[in-house]
Amino acid sequence: MSIEVKNISKRFGNFVALDDVSLEIPTGELVALLGPSGCGKTTLLRIIAGMESASAGTVMFHGEEATNVPTRERQVGFVFQHYALFRHMSVFENVAFGLRVKPRGERPSEKQIRERVMHLLSLVQLEWLADRYPSQLSGGQRQRIALARALAVEPKVLLLDEPFGALDTQVRKELRRWLRHLHDEMHIASVFVTHDQEEALEVADRVVVMNKGHIEQIGSPDEVYSAPATPFVYRFLGNVNVFRSRVHGTWAEIDRAPEPGSKDEALAFVRPHDIDIQREASADALAARIVHIQAIGPQVRVEVEHQGEIFEVDLTRERHEQLALAEGETVWLRPRALRVFQGEQLVDAQTFDLGAGI
Amino acid sequence: MTNSRKHRVLPGFGLSLGFALVYLSLLVLLPLAGLVAHGVHMSFADFWATATTPRTLASYRVTFGCALLAALVNAFFGLIVAWVLVRYDFPGKRFIDALVDLPFALPTAVAGITLTTLYANTGWVGSLLVPLGIQIAFKPAGIVVALIFIGIPFVVRTVQPVIEDIEQEIEEAAATLGATRWQTFRRVLFPALAPALLTGFTLAFSRAIGEYGSVIFIAGNMPMVSEITPLMIISKLEQYDTQGAIVLALVMLVISFVLLLAINLLQWYAANRHTQRHSERKPA
Repeated sequence: MSIEVKNISKRFGNFVALDDVSLEIPTGELVALLGPSGCGKTTLLRIIAGMESASAGTVMFHGEEATNVPTRERQVGFVFQHYALFRHMSVFENVAFGLRVKPRGERPSEKQIRERVMHLLSLVQLEWLADRYPSQLSGGQRQRIALARALAVEPKVLLLDEPFGALDTQVRKELRRWLRHLHDEMHIASVFVTHDQEEALEVADRVVVMNKGHIEQIGSPDEVYSAPATPFVYRFLGNVNVFRSRVHGTWAEIDRAPEPGSKDEALAFVRPHDIDIQREASADALAARIVHIQAIGPQVRVEVEHQGEIFEVDLTRERHEQLALAEGETVWLRPRALRVFQGEQLVDAQTFDLGAGI
Repeated sequence: MTNSRKHRVLPGFGLSLGFALVYLSLLVLLPLAGLVAHGVHMSFADFWATATTPRTLASYRVTFGCALLAALVNAFFGLIVAWVLVRYDFPGKRFIDALVDLPFALPTAVAGITLTTLYANTGWVGSLLVPLGIQIAFKPAGIVVALIFIGIPFVVRTVQPVIEDIEQEIEEAAATLGATRWQTFRRVLFPALAPALLTGFTLAFSRAIGEYGSVIFIAGNMPMVSEITPLMIISKLEQYDTQGAIVLALVMLVISFVLLLAINLLQWYAANRHTQRHSERKPA
């Protein structure tokens, strides 16, 4: 079942939550809606589920218009951040709920319900909790039950709203892997909302980066990380250093700040791990003074000061040992890969001139 | 027993438990004990005869019947009022919300006189109903109306916070699973509300059993028809028949106690149903 969202807009009073958003999700794909809070990602998910109505635009399920279909007829599985389990029902009854409320003609027999529920519980590896109540479960267990409940009605679309947001890191990691696995088995279109970039990059087939009610970029996790389409995506996905620069035809001159407001003003974005540190001056390097060195897990973060601004460089441990850097010394920064934006526009500048290379 | 050794956040558990028990004993148990101790200076046969004259039997029926009916009506409409007050926004909501408490504060006699004036054959409401053959004032129906009036805040105020507690996501979850509105209410919302609703019902019911002030004005107080037991107790006292009054008081006490105990047990069962296996250890 594919999902197609066309020109969706949503206003809450004067606030524009979604501004002309279009998106297509084919069957079998696991898509992450990624963005800061208030970017409209949850609103979009709720509109797909039919819990919120769009101010304009259409939602199509498998080519059929579903904009005005009520939630309960949409056959979507929905998983909430805070589980939304039925507190007064046992785990078994929670999962069985969707089957029990089916119209009499379609309702499976008690035996079939039992089989289906136990199958789902074994799928989420919690059969042994069938008789418990939600209050007796841990957060991770609750979320797995919520997922089993959503899957019980064989939804054509699975929607997850910050499903792991309330869980701690370890559990979150485990559930991520497990969601990926489950999705691959079900062969449905799944959409999950998250503000955690690591989660989106790790789990999704495609990442939709949203900001202020519109889509900034749609692409594979690798695309959005290594080739961000806008400065926002650059900043939101991972750390990035921003150098003021100016554009000269096909030349981008880093570190040559133009007069403010002039036409050739631009910004150059470089990831911390895309910068190398060297001891000798060269034409393609910038002088900088080391302010702070800190080892973080597998890499070493070097904070450097260049013209009054702080930049971050991530070195591998080997490289760091090789260089034997000390705080306070002056070194040269050489970016390996960078992208230049003029305003929101990516500039196709082939050659870079670092200007200050004395 | 291990429970008492558990670390508690608030200190003075023993002290506060002792205080609570003494306080309750002084305020509730002592007067009731006095009633029992003072009461029975007659043989059981006399007691039974006094307690079961046709007129008193009728008054029990009126008292408990009307109270039950009023509490049921209150449970139903009180739930709707509470729901509307929590879930909907409308102009004047705060005003309506404040209005709910009014029956708590109003002297019951004022309520009784006002209701009587309204429902009497010449009153605003009564004059509309009488042509339809419905007479409220000076009938048991009038008693029910008065008891509904004084009981409604109990239901609304106990149910309201529980409705506020139910996340809207619960309803949305039920909807995504294909439940109709009615199924969502019956299977998801109502079970969550039921314990609080039962509490509200119990409070309204017990308040209605003991109500005197508002009822005597509207009831007409016809023996065998619309005379409540509290009124019979008062009239016996006025005739210096203390013994008779105590007999009736004791009967009311026993019936009320049995009824409330039954409801409380039901409530306890409802509240504990979902956590029966709570003592079981959660496997790591």
